[in-house]
This record gives sequence, structure tokens and C-alpha cells, in this order.
Amino acid sequence: MPAIKKPMLKVIILGDSGVGKTSLMNQYVNKKFSASYKATIGADFLTKEVLVDDRLVTMQLWDTAGQERFQSLGVAFYRGADCCVLVYDVNNAKSFDTLDSWRDEFLIQASPRDPDSFPFVVLGNKIDVEEGKRQISQKRAMTFCQAKGGIPYFETSAKEAINVEQAFEVIARNALAQEESEEFSGDFQDPINIHLENESSGCGC
Amino acid sequence: MSSSKKPAEYTPPASPSGSYYDLSDDDENEYNTITHTSTGRSVKLLFSKSKVYIHPSASSRDNIPGFIALLQQKPPSTTSSTGASSSSSTSTPPSSSLLLTWMPETALGDAYDTYVKVDLTDGDTPPRQTYLVPPPPSHYTTGASSLVTYAFAVPVSQIFSLLIRPPNLGWWWGSLIINTRAGDSFPALFFHDSECASTIAQSKRRQRDRFDPFGETGQLFWGGDEVLRWLRRYARVEKSHVEPSLYLVDPSEEDLRSFVAKPVVDGLVGKNAATVAAGGGAGMDPFTRVLKEARWNFLEKLTRVTRFTRRTAEDIIDSPKVPDQVKKLLRSPEVQSLQDEFDSARLYLARWAMGIAEQSERENRQRVWTTKDVMELEESSVGEFEILDMELGSMRIDAEKRKPVGLKEWNSWFDAKSGRLVVSVDEVKERIFHGGIEDNGARKEIWLWLLDVYPWDSTREERMAIMNSKRDEYIRLKGKWWDDVERRSGDEYWRDQKNRIEKDVHRTDRTIPIFSGEDTPHPDPDSTYFEIGTNIHLEQLKDLLLTYNEFNPTLGYVQGMSDLLSPLYAILQDDALAFWAFAGFMHRMERNFLRDQSGMREQLVTLDHLVNLMDPPLYAHLQKADSTNFFFFFRMLIVWFKREFEWDDVLRLWEVLWTNYRSSQYQLFIALAVLEKHRFVVIEHLTAFDEVLKFVNELSGTMELGDVLLGAERLWGRFKMMVEAVDRRNGVRGAGGEDEVGG
Repeated sequence: MPAIKKPMLKVIILGDSGVGKTSLMNQYVNKKFSASYKATIGADFLTKEVLVDDRLVTMQLWDTAGQERFQSLGVAFYRGADCCVLVYDVNNAKSFDTLDSWRDEFLIQASPRDPDSFPFVVLGNKIDVEEGKRQISQKRAMTFCQAKGGIPYFETSAKEAINVEQAFEVIARNALAQEESEEFSGDFQDPINIHLENESSGCGC
Repeated sequence: MSSSKKPAEYTPPASPSGSYYDLSDDDENEYNTITHTSTGRSVKLLFSKSKVYIHPSASSRDNIPGFIALLQQKPPSTTSSTGASSSSSTSTPPSSSLLLTWMPETALGDAYDTYVKVDLTDGDTPPRQTYLVPPPPSHYTTGASSLVTYAFAVPVSQIFSLLIRPPNLGWWWGSLIINTRAGDSFPALFFHDSECASTIAQSKRRQRDRFDPFGETGQLFWGGDEVLRWLRRYARVEKSHVEPSLYLVDPSEEDLRSFVAKPVVDGLVGKNAATVAAGGGAGMDPFTRVLKEARWNFLEKLTRVTRFTRRTAEDIIDSPKVPDQVKKLLRSPEVQSLQDEFDSARLYLARWAMGIAEQSERENRQRVWTTKDVMELEESSVGEFEILDMELGSMRIDAEKRKPVGLKEWNSWFDAKSGRLVVSVDEVKERIFHGGIEDNGARKEIWLWLLDVYPWDSTREERMAIMNSKRDEYIRLKGKWWDDVERRSGDEYWRDQKNRIEKDVHRTDRTIPIFSGEDTPHPDPDSTYFEIGTNIHLEQLKDLLLTYNEFNPTLGYVQGMSDLLSPLYAILQDDALAFWAFAGFMHRMERNFLRDQSGMREQLVTLDHLVNLMDPPLYAHLQKADSTNFFFFFRMLIVWFKREFEWDDVLRLWEVLWTNYRSSQYQLFIALAVLEKHRFVVIEHLTAFDEVLKFVNELSGTMELGDVLLGAERLWGRFKMMVEAVDRRNGVRGAGGEDEVGG
């Protein structure tokens, strides 16, 4: 039995452009917020070491471009993901409506062994914006998450650092559980999913 | 025998070998022509040199010591009779009767002593005494040397060229490769000079007699010099100017033109060009190997590009209308000097290798350089550029050419009356490619040309007309959405586009002064940015992008386009001008934003091929690291390094790329230069895709543009050599047929 190596948890953050993916990630990893992030082009990731139930793990958080046009490039880094974070802007109904297609697209491209049990977490971001702007109520979001098999849901503000830590704690725990379940289920077949032409048809609603 | 007793009859330039043969041609009947009989008694051993090795494998244990020798066989009677018609053939043995051979020591048997004796014979001429040895066991028939012993013999008349690499500090042994006229190559022969008694003696004598340890090339004297000297007694051996390590044996006029003549215009016919042309499909030729391994479709495409530009250049040169001054510019030594850089680079590499060697001399001495190693070292020398940068920074291009083009210089290129360009477009582009453009107003003018708003052959009057109609057209296009209240309020797709654009414009280049302000109230109370505020220039960017949507409705707004627009707007500061410049820019960038991402994939695949071709070791490493999707260059390529360089550098880089001076795909060479600059780090430390991606992403803001541009130019030069090798190879085949038809 080899010594237990420090697990590397791969987390993919998805959602429409401008919902705050980069900001959430930076708030969590660097404890910083900047209003002047540029639109993410391509992909990047940050890593953070965290303790999950006394186990030290490394989280690798992948940030991607939000425009759906770039989704087809995701294959390169969706593979081997342990958790997928779906982010929307509570002040932008459309970004909520597209969550479903982001989820579907991820499942197609990452092809996890057991799609039904693959851990997702939904984050409703930008709750710091004045109440009158809000377009998606907490109730509506929770109903959605319930219907999708009980996806954990957090309302966050990357700007004010509200709920960010708590959300990522759950993300880490679920990712670790996923990683371990994969280890136990034998050879994880790495899907080779060439998905060049097709693109998400966008909002399915 | 002493070297001081040279035969008095020996008068070099006239007919050196003839003189010798007058004296010693006394036993013609004692040897046979091996071409005709394998049972022939013996052949005359004119020269030999010991400790010439073949390195069949990477292990020094497999090295086979042997002799390289020049033999004379009895000329075939048929050829000697035809040869008799030429003036000197009565005394000079025709090159067809001479054999250049390599024999392993073990295969020599009793003749070994004779070979040693001839090797040690002191003197510039063949020994007075005739030494007879058995004919080589196998002679040149199919171009393949004997598989078992590697021994071979090739008639000098059938040698097309010799690829000679003198020893230098980077690789220990000088080597010689014989390429035949049939297009075959024999294994590389490595001269282990330190073991070779005759070379040691000759080298010492040189130092003693002339205080000159250097051979004819100015490099350290070595065994290969001797072989050249023998051959030159009997055949014309010309050093190629286009390929310094290539020597042509009895070249035809055409070969002379192709290889020996100084190149004109951009004559970047490189080392590999010559190797390929001479070596044909020889298995050991590294370039051929790469050719086979790489997927070539794309390179052939680029080949056409370079062919095209070259032809254009030649056409211009030939045109009588072109002023002399321009012709001179076109013949500029620029490219030539770039090629020189490669040589200097190699020297630097050699020195660097020596430093390593001093640290672990013993180990290095035991390292065995196989042919493959030697060639790979050369082949991958593009990869060593990072260690060369300090040196190359100080080398090269004429400072005048590196100065940015200002309005004064720009205006001097135009006819004062008509406002038409009077110099060639290439000349303009060449200047901008190397020098860039001054920031004080010149960009505002010149960018419109580089982005195809103004045609290069337009008159001032025509440009005025173009500008007027373009302004009208911009207003019309903008009006299509501006005046369409219904669409603005009801069309969801349009609103979605508008939101995307707004989101991105508010996070594009906000550190640049004209885009930083937020003191203007946002016109739309429903906007997320209503509370924050905006400024007039941000609003203009939004309008421009929305208008581009009307101009190119199928594309729509895609992230990254705001990054491309903002510098144009910032420089031109005129919405209509910026719009048309942007439209021109997008014309070439559109493929980056296609829905299926095919344009980006295409470029990443091309980059894959480029790296595979230009730096095989690095490529192999990237393969191991599962990184040959080259996705880590996605950002750099989609917005042309906008996120990697500071604002001013981006302006400069883009105008360089806009010129298409080297290639319309030059951005790939920029990418390659970025990668090459960090190849050691990549190879040494990065083992997986995520590491490579992270590393490359974090290069942002760390690179010096001048460095990268120089690197790209060097890589381009090297690439061009390779492409021209393909050209030449294809051309040699094609042209060969044509020549026969033409007689």
C-alpha cells in the first residue's frame, strides 16, 4: 500500500461571461477583489492548499472564458475534474437560465463515469448589488438546485467576500469525495472526447 | 622524405597532378580496374588517413576505426579513350579512375601496413613509390555501403558533394559525409584527430613551420583538410557560399549557380537546403527525417507564401521602372546578415558547450557523438537562442533601420503633387517591420494604410474620396441599430450582444488614460454600469462594436474583439476611422472568432507543426507533457499578445504583424519565439499540461518585446531556409525535367 499522497482536486468554474468567476476564484485564493479584471481569454487556474477534515489537499481551480463560443475548447481541461462550480449573477436572469446548458455541456465534455453523482455546486454571485436589481430570487435558485438532484447552493459576493470561504469548503469536500470514489472504482477511463464542431445550442429554456 | 623536397616540377595552379603523373606513371599495367573485375590484383593507394571512424550507434563501443583513402584504379578503356580528347587527361587520372574509400581497419588484412605507411608518408604529393593494395571489397554500386563492414568506395566522378563539419568546441570530431550524384549519402566519417598519428604530425609541423595551427579555412587544422587537399589535386572542389559546410566536387554550371554563387535578394538558402538537395533521400539526413515525420500540408502552404513573396521581390528587381535606390534596398544584406547570425549563434553555442565541457571534461570526452547527435545539435540550435540573447542583442541590424518611421520620413515617400507612394510597398513595410512607427501622429496616418483603409497605390485625391464615402458608410451602418428603436428595446439577441459588449468594454484597457474615466453619467438607467458611470471613449467603443455587428452580422460580438479595437480607437481617436481600421484588422482576425473555433484550431495545429519542425527535442517534451494541443497559446494568438505585453509594446508588435513583411502568419513566429526563449525551463521543469499552461500564462508582462521580435526574426530566417529546402528539392526535381526538355 503506497503512502497516501496529497490529493489534487481539480475544480472547473463555469458560467456566463461577467458573472464573476475570476473574481470568486481570486477572492478565495488571494483574498483580493479587483474591479478591473479583464475578460478571461482562454483558461487559467489557481491552486490552493486546504484542509478538508484534517486532510491536506491541493485544489486546482480552473477559470475559463464565459462566452459559450469558447466552450468547445473545454475538453483540454475538463477532463479529470472532481467538481464543477456553476456560477451565475443574481442580477442577471439570463446567466441563471444558462446554468442548465453549462451543466450539460460539462457532463458531455468531461464525461464523468457516473454523471448522476458527479458533484456540482451552484453559486449565485453579486449579492452585494442593491436589492432592486436582483432578478433571481434565492427560492428560485434553490428550487432549480433541488430539481437537479440536490446541488449545493450558495449566494456569494466576491466583492464583499460573503460566503466565498464557505462555498469553497463544500466544493473541496465534494471534490475530495469524488476523487476518492473514482480511486475505488478502479481504472478511471480518461475519455477522449473530440468535440470540435458541435457547440452548445445555448439556452435550453 | 622531407616536405622541403617538393618536386621542382610541381607548379600548382597550372596542372599540378599532371606533373606528378609525368614522373610516376610507370606501372599502369600493374593494377586493374575494379569496376570491371572483382578479381583484379590491386589498385594504387595514393593517400590514406587513419583513425577515421564510423559511429554506427550511440555507444562508443560500436565505433569502427578505419582509413579514408584515395585509390587509383586503372581507367576503364572506354572512358580513357574519350577522355583522351581533353587536354590534360593524358597525364591526370580522370576522376572516374579515382576512388574515395573508407575501409575498417579489420578489413584490411595484410594491406594494413601499407595503409599506415602511406598515411605516415610525409608530403603534399602522393608517395613517389607506388603502393599497391587490394581493391576495396565492395565498391559503389547502389549507394549503400556494405551493411556488415560499412566499407565503401566511390568513384570521385560520382561524388556530388562533401558535407564537411570541422571539429569545433561544441562537437569533438570533425566529420565528412559523401553525397553522391545519385542522391545517396554514405555514413558520416568522424576524424579522431587526437588518435591519428599523421594528423598530429601534420598539425605539429604546421605549427613549427608556419606558426600557423590553422588550416585553410582559418580553423584548426584537422584530418578533413587533408582529404580536401587530396581531392583538389584531381578534381575541382568548390566551397558553397550558401552553405559553408558544403563542398561541391566537379560541379556543373547549374550547381555552381545554385550553391556556389552568392545569393541575391533574400538568398536564404540554408544548410538544410544544400543537404537535402545533395543528400536526397538518404536515411541519415535529419531534414529528410523531419520532412517525413512532420505533417507537411501546412508547410507547403507557407512555402507558397514565401515563393510568392520571393517572386514579387524578383519581379521588382527586374523591373526597369524601379529606381536604383529601391533596387539597392531590395538587395539589402539584411537577410544575409541574419544568416550570419546563425553562424555566430553556433559559435556561441560551441563556446558555451566548452564551458560545460570544462566542468565535466572527463564525462564529456567519453560522450560519443553519433552522426545523429551532431546533426540534431545543429538542427536544434534554434533552441539555444536564449543563451545567445546577450550576444545577439549587440549584433545586428543597422541602427537606422531600427528607428521608428516618423511622419517626415513617411511623407518623403510620397509624390508631393499626386500624393502617391513613390517607393515600393515592400520597402515601406520593411522599414516598419524593423523600425515600427513613431507614436507622435505617424501611427494615426500609417495605420490606415496597414489596415487597408487606404490602398497603397492611391492618390491623395482618391484617399479623400475614400474617406468621405467611408465616413458616410459608417454613419449609415451605425444608423441601422441606432435609429431602430424597436430592435433596441425588443430584440433579445441584439440586447444580449449589447450587454456582452458593455461588459467587456468596461473591462478593457481601463488603465489607459482615455478609457479610465467614469465621470460621465451612463445613458441607460437599466445598465449595470448606470451607478458607476462611464466616459465618452468607452461609449464610442461600444458603438463601434455594435456597428461592427451590422457590418458583419454573421460573426457577432465575440470576447476578445474589444481588446483588438481599443488600441485602434486610442490611436486614431476618430470613430469612423477607427471603425474602418477595425474592419480591416478584423478581416484578418475574423477566423479567430468563428463559432466553431476552426481558425484558432488551425493556428494551434500549425504552431504544433512549426515546433515539431523547428525544435524536435522541445516538441518531444511537449508530447510527453501532453501539451501538443498548444492550447496554452490560445490567448496569445486570439488577441495577438494583447494580454502579454504592455500597451506600447502591443502597438509596436501589431504594426509589425500588420506589414505581412515576412509572412501573414508571423504571429506564429512570435509565439514560437516566446516558446523558444523559455525552452530550457519548459524542458527541465514542466511535465504536464497544467504546468505548461500556468507557466505560459504567467509570462504575461515579463517579456521584452525587442527580444521576442529578434527571436522571431531569427526563427523565421531558419524556417525560411527549411522551406526553401523543400522548394529546392521540389524545384530540383521539377526543373531537372524541364532542363532536359529544353536541352
